[in-house]
Amino acid sequence: MGAITIQNLTKSYASTEVLKGIDLAINDGEFLILVGPSGCGKSTLMNCIAGLEEITSGHLLIANEDVTDLSPKDRDIAMVFQSYALYPTMSVARNISFGLEMRKYPKAQIEATVQEVATLLQIEHLLDRKPSQLSGGQRQRVAMGRALARDPRVFLFDEPLSNLDAKLRVEMRTEIKKLHKRLGTTIVYVTHDQVEAMTLADRIAVMKDGIVQQFGTPHEIYNDPANRFVADFMGSPAMNFIECVVFEGNLVVESAAKRYELAIPNAEALKASGLETVVLGIRPEMITEPKPSTDATYVSQMFLDVSVTEPTGPDTLAFGTWNGQDLQARLSPEKGRQAEIDSTIAIQVDTAKAVLFHPQTGARI
Amino acid sequence: MFKYLETHLPKLVLAPTVIAMLVCMYGFIAWTAGLSFTKSRMLPQWEFVGLDQYARLFSNPRWQVALDNLFIFVFLFILVSLVLGLLLAIFLDQKVRAEGALRTIYLYPMAISFVVTGTAWKWILNPGLGIEKLVRDFGFTDFEFRWLVEQDMAIYTIVIAAVWQSSGFVMAMFLAGLRGVDDNLVKAAQIDGASKIQTYWHIILPMMKPVFFGAIVVLAHIAIKSFDLVQALTGGGPGYASDLPANFMYTFAFSRAQMGLGAASAMIMLCGVLAILVPYLYSELRTKRS
Amino acid sequence: MNSLQLKMGRALIYGLLITFALLYLGPLYVMLVTSLKDIEEIRGGNILALPEHLNFSAWSKAWSSACTGTDCEGLAPYFWNSVRIVIPAVLISTLIGAFNGYVLAQWQFKGSNMLFGALLFGCFIPFQVILLPMAKLLAILGLANTVTGLVAVHVVYGVTFTTLFFRNYYVAIPNELVRAARLDGAPFFTIFWRIFLPMSTPIIVVTVIWQFTQIWNDFLFGVVYSGPGTQPITVALNNLVNTSVGGKQYNVDMAAAIIAALPTLFVYFVAGKYFVRGLTAGAVKG
Repeated sequence: MGAITIQNLTKSYASTEVLKGIDLAINDGEFLILVGPSGCGKSTLMNCIAGLEEITSGHLLIANEDVTDLSPKDRDIAMVFQSYALYPTMSVARNISFGLEMRKYPKAQIEATVQEVATLLQIEHLLDRKPSQLSGGQRQRVAMGRALARDPRVFLFDEPLSNLDAKLRVEMRTEIKKLHKRLGTTIVYVTHDQVEAMTLADRIAVMKDGIVQQFGTPHEIYNDPANRFVADFMGSPAMNFIECVVFEGNLVVESAAKRYELAIPNAEALKASGLETVVLGIRPEMITEPKPSTDATYVSQMFLDVSVTEPTGPDTLAFGTWNGQDLQARLSPEKGRQAEIDSTIAIQVDTAKAVLFHPQTGARI
Repeated sequence: MFKYLETHLPKLVLAPTVIAMLVCMYGFIAWTAGLSFTKSRMLPQWEFVGLDQYARLFSNPRWQVALDNLFIFVFLFILVSLVLGLLLAIFLDQKVRAEGALRTIYLYPMAISFVVTGTAWKWILNPGLGIEKLVRDFGFTDFEFRWLVEQDMAIYTIVIAAVWQSSGFVMAMFLAGLRGVDDNLVKAAQIDGASKIQTYWHIILPMMKPVFFGAIVVLAHIAIKSFDLVQALTGGGPGYASDLPANFMYTFAFSRAQMGLGAASAMIMLCGVLAILVPYLYSELRTKRS
Repeated sequence: MNSLQLKMGRALIYGLLITFALLYLGPLYVMLVTSLKDIEEIRGGNILALPEHLNFSAWSKAWSSACTGTDCEGLAPYFWNSVRIVIPAVLISTLIGAFNGYVLAQWQFKGSNMLFGALLFGCFIPFQVILLPMAKLLAILGLANTVTGLVAVHVVYGVTFTTLFFRNYYVAIPNELVRAARLDGAPFFTIFWRIFLPMSTPIIVVTVIWQFTQIWNDFLFGVVYSGPGTQPITVALNNLVNTSVGGKQYNVDMAAAIIAALPTLFVYFVAGKYFVRGLTAGAVKG
């Protein structure tokens, strides 16, 4: 019903190319997230899917039907906006029913749909109010209600949670995920928040400079990033990037005034590349206090000079130095307290999931 | 076809206005400019005579008087309106009682037409029965106040009436500007030990610079277009001693059948407005960009 | 600063504010009392003196029998001329301005901002520069000296201001509203009528008041483009004051001036807030 195919889509304003040949195939019922820093083109891509912006070249198919030249109202899609875009002079009920009225649905059916949607989103008691009388979270629900009422082939969400406070954002996130499970309609969702992307998506498209950098499941994006940009953008706290010298397929790092050689999984590829230095990408949770039983192949024990610690509750982030570069480690709260006192502590480094990048291009090795 | 209509509807809606604008503004300005280079009198006559009309215009003593009057009027009108408007705004900004009522009183003349203003002041300044008589009734029996009929002074009566009508508007602009000043700034100045007057002089007034420019542009624009006030208050008289360029243009273009000359004077007026407007817009755009 | 100085400062501020209030009210007061006196009283007393008894004969004369040039029917017919000019001119220019503002703010296209700038220029041009060709155009169209012609002139040159007002109001509304409505299937005009117009009440009031005062108070277009039977009230007032058949009648002049000013004064006192907003919006000019 709602599969979307995007073929070599480009979009230019005057002389600047905002989207540079996008190819994506979204399955029916899939939850796709477009993520990237501001100005990466993700919102433009969404507007192109909606038909609110004309495509410069390329094709857009919904359910195998070419909709490139179709106007927004004929594409059978609904959208939730960042500012909610509720019609200020209409009641909540009218806001929800407006799209159905425009499509000339019979009155009884419209009323039934409004009731149904209101019950689903628990906004029955708000139906007679004006948008200005609602809280931010309530407006968000009405905006979703308006989209749901139409029962479209595809839902588009444009940063729908970014105007909510932190707690409400987490609640609504869960609610959106439940809703998707229940309805099974294709969703394209734009955000700049990588946590939202990781938690909600079936698949993620990471964008930068009008190009899709990587398109894959959250697991693939997190563990197998295509390049340094993707690795850096996804994950919080961010991945460590340490430039190291290569020595016989191992990486040399200096920590607490000692040299260590770290073994890495893809030593063959590294050797083949012929690089003398390489950027090691390693996530903070791979640098911890020593643990008793771990597969020893890729685990190294060493010391770390800690300058600052940041307790987050469940664990403590420790900031140290490797090769004169900043490094973050993830310690238990107990070890974190010890690090504050001793400043030099024993750690273990697990390079089993480490990734390597070209020091100049940032490409994955 | 339907799709075409749909995407071009916004432009179609705008089209009548754009056509009217091209014809009735830019087209007409071009037409007037063209006319000013011809020897048209009663009827347009497309025989070009170069800058002859402009030469005639600037050698016309009546135009000289009108121009001199304009400079006097623009200068005094703007200066007095600014000072008065600013003072009233600052006083009103001192958390006074009945601020709303006072504001209403200062501003109501702006709602009245210049013709009514002129009629009223013509009576108030009446040489025999107006202010002169009032002061004499107070015991100053030798008092004389006959500006309305004095060659050299008539233009100042126009300044008085115009200031009465427009200074409240300047007050409103400044008051809006003053209300926009961040309270914390005033508090910071107080903590730094500045007196109230020092705070206004060194901190608040310099922040009012855009309001000053905005008000000057609006007032200058009102002044250059001034026509009805002169017509109602002095009729340009005595003689043509209180004519402004707008009255000159009307008289020559419509009463004296000197179209070419009238067109030339209108073009000079347009240039006057542009001379004020262009630097203003330029500086506005520059600050917006940076 | 001690409390005495503070009190004196306050007294000074209030003193000045009240003095100026009296100065601003003065002319209105003079007009009113003069209009209620008879001509003997005017010649005998001074301009501030109160009338001995209320005498409304000057008012009825100004309204129905004073001479404006050669006609002696008072201001009444011209008052209605102004009404016949103002109402259609205000309504049409406001409606066109609303459409223009809607397009320029929410349906921007390549060059739309440049068009807006070109249109804004119209707020600034001295009308002397268009007087002659407009007279010619009205003559060609057969609209010279007609109410329709005056309405057309006021609409053409009023649209620059009304467009400015609506455009600046609508540009503050996020474009997502239009996008949402388009996805809901609403076409261009439906979005305007059903969504934008209902939330435009404040700016409609501002625009109507602005246009009403501008057009009611106009003298230049009135004097140039009207004929004997179609003159607006400002032109008639000027004629009345300058007609001195049978001696100067200052009381009638003043009554006539107040009659000419009453509609705009009424609007100002009823909706002053919006009037000021229009003025400052008109002053900011983009």
